[in-house]
Amino acid sequence: MSLRIFVEGNDDKNFIVKLLNDLKKYNQIDVLDNINFNNYITIMGSKSKLLDSSHEKYQRISRKIGFEVLEVLFIFDCDFEVDDKNCNGMKKSLECFDNLKKELNWTIPMDVHIFDKNLDYFLVETINKKECYEHFDKLIECLDVEKLKPNKKPIANLYRDLYPYPQFYFKDDRFQPLKDKLIDLFKGIEK
Amino acid sequence: MSEHFIKNIEIKNFKCFEDFKAEGFGRVNLIGGKNNVGKTAFMEAVGINVHSTNILTLFSSLMAIYFERNKLEFIEKGYSVDDLKSLFESRQTYFSKSNINEVHYKLYNKDGKKEYIFNINNKEIAINSNDFSYEVEYISNIEYISNLGFNNSSLQKNYITVQRIDKEYILNKYINEFDNSIEKFKIFDGSPECKLKNSNSYIKINEFGDGLKHYISIICSLYACENGYLFIDEIDNGIHYTQLDRLWEIILTISKQQNVQVFATTHSKECIESYARVAKKLEDNEIIFIELCKREEEIKAFVYPYDWFIDEIEQEHEVRGCL
Repeated sequence: MSLRIFVEGNDDKNFIVKLLNDLKKYNQIDVLDNINFNNYITIMGSKSKLLDSSHEKYQRISRKIGFEVLEVLFIFDCDFEVDDKNCNGMKKSLECFDNLKKELNWTIPMDVHIFDKNLDYFLVETINKKECYEHFDKLIECLDVEKLKPNKKPIANLYRDLYPYPQFYFKDDRFQPLKDKLIDLFKGIEK
Repeated sequence: MSEHFIKNIEIKNFKCFEDFKAEGFGRVNLIGGKNNVGKTAFMEAVGINVHSTNILTLFSSLMAIYFERNKLEFIEKGYSVDDLKSLFESRQTYFSKSNINEVHYKLYNKDGKKEYIFNINNKEIAINSNDFSYEVEYISNIEYISNLGFNNSSLQKNYITVQRIDKEYILNKYINEFDNSIEKFKIFDGSPECKLKNSNSYIKINEFGDGLKHYISIICSLYACENGYLFIDEIDNGIHYTQLDRLWEIILTISKQQNVQVFATTHSKECIESYARVAKKLEDNEIIFIELCKREEEIKAFVYPYDWFIDEIEQEHEVRGCL
């Protein structure tokens, strides 16, 4: 029996794969040695597509719901209300997710993890030795360039540029809620 | 899509398929799935259905499939009319329906007398088991290449078409691309042979690797099956991964030219990825991928049209059977 994780984009997928590999490394999930976590993650393209129950990727996976796929997890950003009053912000994001659940009408457990603000902000908060980057953050603030891409943390971009394969500090407590959901999700996986 | 192409099938009581449906087939259909899920049986069921225009063509397909499955045993002991009878008597009923043909079969057994009752496209035929004789009728543009490959006479039968339609130069070009040390391929008195460059003599094809014969068999069959069907079990058998794109390009190109519907099975991820890559390169949206999955006793087919299939491959999702 299997599971699926739905994410917004490629960065989210890469991050989840890294986190899952970390859980596997520390035996927090019991999976096959040669498991390819990519198999379990579907990129929807954007938050609006992820919350759109008529998306053709949901049609495709619907055929397997209850047959192969017995549990699903949706992971997305809550983003900023200023950009979208309908589905942004934690409260509205949850409402939109509840609506998605209702419309999909899948009769299997469906869980969700929503990042406060977005993945970039979350990752920056959890970078090990964050104090080393704080000077850069002050510089960015002084130059007032954050308004160019208000949803993207420049420090997160810098971190990714410096480390194309970033090593996030998964020991940070703030990862625990998502870890718990992933551990729970992979409990039912067929080996 | 051509009128003669099979687009859907319903199967009851055939091998592992108790009650099975699949739809949305394309011109070229690659089937993936785990061991013993029924990939070959599914292809056989499709083959039997398209053969079922009359009782004799139906018998020919049943016998051909039975022979291919038991080829090695038959080499030792031969086969007889009883083998075909045992096929009919192993099931009480059988049903197969597609957009092409519909077949119902029932074994009637009363007071020790057995009768095989067929209904093919609404024509009923009852055959007393004691009166049954081995008589078949072949359909020349339906071909089945098993995982063991063609024998020389099957290869010759299809090569004759290549000669008849003057495609020997293309066949030799494809062979040369496969192995540039080979200049020509010919069949002499039933013996397929290749001539190497800078050599005056021909060498029997069995002296080369199995992949070459398999490759030539596929190309010859594509030409021979004009407006028909080609079934290939374990398509990548003996073929090195570096040759897979070439093979798929040939299959997609000739099947379009010759209007052949192709069904093939594989276990290989490289083969599936190559299929997706070539279909995308040729912008051939008549390709389909069929994933067969089994849960407890239920078998399901998940049919992926071109767009879905390409997306699954690009997302690195597993399509060789359910996880």
